[in-house]
Amino acid sequence: MNDTDEREWQAQEHALQAERLDLDSRGADARVRRYRLLARTLRQPLRDTLPEDFAARVAARAAAPPTLMASASDRFESILLAVLAGFLVMFAGVVLARDGQAWLPAIRATLPAADLQDLRWLLAFAGCLGLSWVLWQGAWRRPAV
Amino acid sequence: MAGRELVEAVLAGRPGAFERLVREYQGLCWHIIVRLVRNPEDARELCQDTFLRVHRCLHQYRHESTLQTWIGRVAYSIALRHLERRRIPIATSEDEEGCAAALNIGSDFDLEAACADGQTVRHLHQAIEALPPLQRMLLTLYYLEELPIPEIAGITGLASGTIKSHLFRSRLRLRDALEAKIGVAV
Repeated sequence: MNDTDEREWQAQEHALQAERLDLDSRGADARVRRYRLLARTLRQPLRDTLPEDFAARVAARAAAPPTLMASASDRFESILLAVLAGFLVMFAGVVLARDGQAWLPAIRATLPAADLQDLRWLLAFAGCLGLSWVLWQGAWRRPAV
Repeated sequence: MAGRELVEAVLAGRPGAFERLVREYQGLCWHIIVRLVRNPEDARELCQDTFLRVHRCLHQYRHESTLQTWIGRVAYSIALRHLERRRIPIATSEDEEGCAAALNIGSDFDLEAACADGQTVRHLHQAIEALPPLQRMLLTLYYLEELPIPEIAGITGLASGTIKSHLFRSRLRLRDALEAKIGVAV
């Protein structure tokens, strides 16, 4: 901030303080008086407000058990996810069985020191990680009782 | 009731505790959300979403910030996501441009007369409404909620310097709008 901006900032802040303390505006700098009008306008309550019973309604809604529709929707989502995951695993198995012979040697070739035995262990390890992640996600998503 | 006690009461499921929490912070959330999204209907719905999320996630509150800041942050992120979904920019590129502070201003400005003049005040309200959502919200938190800049920084995740800069620019812009209305050469 240069000196001019700093003076402007001080005028803005001075006007805000003067409005908060309801000080007499006579004798104040013209710039500060303008900012006081601005402060007075900004401190006016907003025209639109929340309804009177907002807190009571939200509290009632938060306390209510999940609606039939919501729990049905959650159940549908879980079933859909499980079906999709099942399809994914099934197709992965089919593709691996059909084209795996073509891929495995190529993958093996990229790992100079690894033989087929190592690769199987690597795949088993990756599978364990994937399964653990899926189970952990399931546990985390389950609502607390 | 202090924030910590209120949180404990809500988590313990004491009757009326959550309603008390909502009543305590609904003004802050309303100011954050309505100033950002503008539409009162959307704002009411988002306010409700905010408190439902607060109710669901209150057990995650670790008292690292004030409860006010934590709830304000929830409201801010919900309103922000709403604006993103509607592809409404929160701040415009012109906010980044510097504003030249007016050096010469007329001295004949009667504050009380200007306040009494409905047209001038209406003009200022229109100028406030025309500000980008972020600036509108920052001004409301600073002036109406009387939050200090570090508290606003906690809610928005913006640096204090950035907030100061937004406040400075928007107030300058509003003063320019006022000068244009009262017809004083700047």
